[in-house]
Amino acid sequence: MFDLVEAFHRPSSIREALRLLHAGGRRARIVAGGTDVVVRADPEIRSLVDITRLGLTYIKRSGGAWAIGATTTMAQIEHSAALRALAGGILVEAAKGCGSVQLRNMATLGGNLANASPAADTAAPLLVLDAQVVVAGERSRRTLALADFFLKPGETALGKALLVEILIPAPPRGARTAWSFQKLGRTESDISVVNAAAGLQVDGKGVCKWCRIALGAVAPVPLRARAAEALVTGRKLDGSLVEQAAAEAAREASPITDIRATAEYRREMCRVLVKRALAECAARAGCSL
Amino acid sequence: MRGTSGVLIMKTMQLRLTVNGETRQWTIAPGDLLLDVLRREGCYGVKRGCEKGECGACTVLLDGKPINSCLMFAAQAEGCDILTIEGLAVGDVLDPLQEAFLDHGAVQCGYCTPGMILNAKALLARNPHPSEAEVRETMAGNYCRCTGYLKPVEAVLAAAGRAPAPARSGRKAVKR
Amino acid sequence: MSGDRAVVGQNLRKVDGVKLVTGRPAFTDDIHLPGMLIGKILPSPHAHARIKRIDTGKARALPGVHAVLTYKDVPRVPHTTAGQAWPEPSPYDTYLLDNKVRFVGDRVAAVAAETRAIAEKALRLIEVEYEVLPAVLEIEQAMASGVAVIHDEPDSTKIFDREHNIAGYILREIGNVEEGFRASDLIFEREFRTGRQQHCPLEPHVAIAWLDADQRLVIRTSTQVPYHARRQVAMILQIPVSRVHVIKPRIGGGFGGKQEMLLEDITGALALATKRPVKIEFTREEEFYMARSRHPQILRMKMGVKRDGTIVASQLTVLATTGAYGSHSTTVQGNTGSKVLPLYRAEHMRFECHVVYTNTPVAGAFRGYGCPQGFFAQETLVDEIAEELGRDPVEFRRQNMIRLGDIDKLSAQLGEGKEGLPRHIRSCGLPECLDRAAAAVDWDGKRNAAGGPAHLKRGVGMAATMQGSGIAGVDWASAFLKMNEDGSFFLQVGAADVGAGADTVLAQIAAETLGVSLDKVVITSGDTDITPFDVGAYASSTTIISGGAVRKAAEKVRAHVLDMAAKMLDAPVDKLECGDNQVYTICECRKAVSMAELAMHAMYKEKTQIMDGASHFNTDSPPPFCVTFAEVEVDTETGKVRVLHLVTAVDPGTAINPMQAEGQVEGAVAQGLGYALIEELLLDGQGRPRNASFLDYKIFSAKDMPRLTTILVETDEPLGPFGAKSISEVPINGPAPAIANAIYHAVGIRLRKLPIRPEDVLRELREKLPTL
Repeated sequence: MFDLVEAFHRPSSIREALRLLHAGGRRARIVAGGTDVVVRADPEIRSLVDITRLGLTYIKRSGGAWAIGATTTMAQIEHSAALRALAGGILVEAAKGCGSVQLRNMATLGGNLANASPAADTAAPLLVLDAQVVVAGERSRRTLALADFFLKPGETALGKALLVEILIPAPPRGARTAWSFQKLGRTESDISVVNAAAGLQVDGKGVCKWCRIALGAVAPVPLRARAAEALVTGRKLDGSLVEQAAAEAAREASPITDIRATAEYRREMCRVLVKRALAECAARAGCSL
Repeated sequence: MRGTSGVLIMKTMQLRLTVNGETRQWTIAPGDLLLDVLRREGCYGVKRGCEKGECGACTVLLDGKPINSCLMFAAQAEGCDILTIEGLAVGDVLDPLQEAFLDHGAVQCGYCTPGMILNAKALLARNPHPSEAEVRETMAGNYCRCTGYLKPVEAVLAAAGRAPAPARSGRKAVKR
Repeated sequence: MSGDRAVVGQNLRKVDGVKLVTGRPAFTDDIHLPGMLIGKILPSPHAHARIKRIDTGKARALPGVHAVLTYKDVPRVPHTTAGQAWPEPSPYDTYLLDNKVRFVGDRVAAVAAETRAIAEKALRLIEVEYEVLPAVLEIEQAMASGVAVIHDEPDSTKIFDREHNIAGYILREIGNVEEGFRASDLIFEREFRTGRQQHCPLEPHVAIAWLDADQRLVIRTSTQVPYHARRQVAMILQIPVSRVHVIKPRIGGGFGGKQEMLLEDITGALALATKRPVKIEFTREEEFYMARSRHPQILRMKMGVKRDGTIVASQLTVLATTGAYGSHSTTVQGNTGSKVLPLYRAEHMRFECHVVYTNTPVAGAFRGYGCPQGFFAQETLVDEIAEELGRDPVEFRRQNMIRLGDIDKLSAQLGEGKEGLPRHIRSCGLPECLDRAAAAVDWDGKRNAAGGPAHLKRGVGMAATMQGSGIAGVDWASAFLKMNEDGSFFLQVGAADVGAGADTVLAQIAAETLGVSLDKVVITSGDTDITPFDVGAYASSTTIISGGAVRKAAEKVRAHVLDMAAKMLDAPVDKLECGDNQVYTICECRKAVSMAELAMHAMYKEKTQIMDGASHFNTDSPPPFCVTFAEVEVDTETGKVRVLHLVTAVDPGTAINPMQAEGQVEGAVAQGLGYALIEELLLDGQGRPRNASFLDYKIFSAKDMPRLTTILVETDEPLGPFGAKSISEVPINGPAPAIANAIYHAVGIRLRKLPIRPEDVLRELREKLPTL
């Protein structure tokens, strides 16, 4: 499958990796977990640049914020006790759903995002967490919001740069803050037919002070359901509001039909999963709907 | 093999790693996948099932962790320690998992078995007494088309001391 | 009956188990031959086209390419790929290579090259100009006048009506159904549809062919039918059977998909052309659409009943597609009638079936062989009738089902592509299966209690099914045994262990008969140079037919052993017994000779090889019976159906190895579950596969499986070795109807299309309850 590959590079620094990528041009490809590069088997590839030896495998905490290296595997996220305590463990939940044990030992967080699949499981929880991505170019580094990172299926704002780190700012905390991750697949270990994540914070009267809703596999890119968020924010959470927000999120979706589901079903499931996510958040935040 | 220039070239590189406890140095092509190299070097217990990382038949342990060798470039295994099914038994003494798979009827065609056993081996190494749900979560990475998974799961639980060994003789008309 | 058996009925380890758990090289591809080339097949990109021009010049010129074959280079011999006994009842409508392609994936050309990459590149260099023909993709379209004729070639034979794309047609009736419907108080009629399931063996099809030192063609292949493959390859390549040697090593699952001569011919042709070893191995993608799948069917089932619950008449009308070639076309569909309708004792039965060609992937043999489709229709309709009559589904079935002493006359009319033989029910564990499975699922408790949280509704449903044990009057097998100096025996059988445990079961039968422990029987199977004939692994035949041959051969050898012992012990044969690896007297003298001593004496004193062989066939096919109970939970918001518990009770006759028998049940149930809920190979509007990978065509994993309960209800079948019938196919039939019936119990909707997808469930729910 890769008989035409002429070089396999194992750089030990980001600078060297970028140089090799640059030198290889269109025919060079980054490889980390391999779970996308190998499956796609692009016959154009002539050189591979392995980025797993750049020191980008880490989960660090500074204050309330988190930094996760791009080559951290799904398994490392899944088994991180600290991340399990972050935001109700929604990122851990999502990582656990990324294929089999073997795949999770290989697949990296950076790869899951840089691959820009609309169905990427970790994208929705990271959007809910207002995550940012750090990208390194040959001369500079920049940080951009994850929401601005995805451009269309398979395409990101990376350009020639390398995704090196995922930053999660300190999320809202407290007893009245709650989180939920919902996924619908055809089987237990499947690419999402639809996924949704939500986070919210309520005050003592049950009024929503802060809300995030994100969706996967219902639009060309993982999506914040901003209209639904706006609908919920500032209002008292109840069953009717949850229903309305779920319907609003479904309207924001622009799903397609593929072998996993029809567009109509996806839109409907978007409503159901957002409803379930918000209801679960409400219950966890101590609101009775 | 032909390069982009059309001239017959053969790009090769050296791969140093440990396989089943023995140090190896192999000449590989830069685009070789670990599955192909392991089979080429005689580890036939590493099976080709889908080449897309879905079925788990090619599972090996890389530094103790189960991975799909069909999705990994061989060059990525530089300096790593690989265990394939051939390296699990010690001489003629089978691993308890191998014994349990035989005793529980967990092997039918046997094509998925090496991957299953290695995946379970890694599970028991980090969690010696897993629950049935944990075993199923792990074994979800190994498709089997013969057994319906019940007996393999029982075998892993038995190897972990969580289920009794079945009677070697006598009828079991009713089960569970 | 089992108490005095030392080997049969025992949960013994698989005889080939150790090499499998240690990963030793045992499968087709686990060898490397010096100079071996890689073969690849160029698949047709069109569903229906004629090859106007094909130029292989550039491909042949590519360095590393050793052969490129097109229809111009090979003999044109009409044949079927179905691995069936001669004369095969399937149409001879297939060619090694042809100037016409009939589905996306059909063979256009074949290449042998030094590496896979070169072979793949060579395929891209073959220039083909196609005359694209209108394609027939829809099953209902196929017979219409004016549509394209898929098999317009004049030399194909045994096609029922080529002008209308009808590969086969079946019409059989006992009694007079119209009269039966007139005599009925209530008539029910429904239409059902079933999907295109793929076998998904973990080992895709693979064959390696080479010429041995005597220039004989050796084919090491992943097959269920080594002897049929040998005969067919010899015919297609036009070489004598004696010049072909087929070896079946360990097989990574078959399930019917390898009851097909699929790669052996083309791999053999490439080996002959290059004089080098050649391997062809399907990729997973190729396995999905270039190998075989289950026949999609449209079934119309009609039943007439009396108010007292007596089923008077049952009629099943089927439209099925065999895809582009008629492999197993009439035989699979014949089973849809002959093994399904007679489960209930209606006086009048009628089965009619058209099997049509379409320009779609080829259907073939698949575990259940036509029964999963038929039972889905019948058992769902029967559930509806019971509901309508206000009867408990279990009791309604009990009233009508076939029983001990019955004679199934439909089977007499409907054999394997010809008249069949009546089936006499000489063993029947159905009533006990019903009792024990109902108790295991708590049927009475759960039928009266539905519920759960607002959007999760639970229900229970069940189905009863049966199958056969070998094809009556067709399937036959042989076995040969010889004794070694150490008192062990070599057992040689043509039977093909494809992973289901045949080698173990057959060795157990020999060991039990000879009075030796299992380790004293060394079995060799499925090698056409070494082992005697067997039709192969299909039709649930191996235990009863091959096992019958082993039993006979072992009895003959036992007689020789006793004769020898009689001389050695100076005792009459009727006072001798075999057991515990020795022969002993059963009189007071208490003399004994070990098998090892006896063998040494025979070989070096008497100069006699103790050996014998036998052949075996049956004129009846005793049905194993099965009931399946399912408990499900339906998510009324997503339409997802979660199966909580599947209980399967099977009457396999005697279970030669109960642990292995359970494994057969559990594996069949898992495939039946996938068939019910998720598995279907989908095609686009041009006939191209849409989900030919495990990413897209999902099968269930360990995490998806419900709780399984397996109950073996053993009976004693007079026609089987030690009372055995069969087990590996019958449990696949029940999950789909049992689950469909459980869904009805949970939420009141009837699903009549397989697989039962969440979207369909949701749609039906909305139609029933628009407020949802």
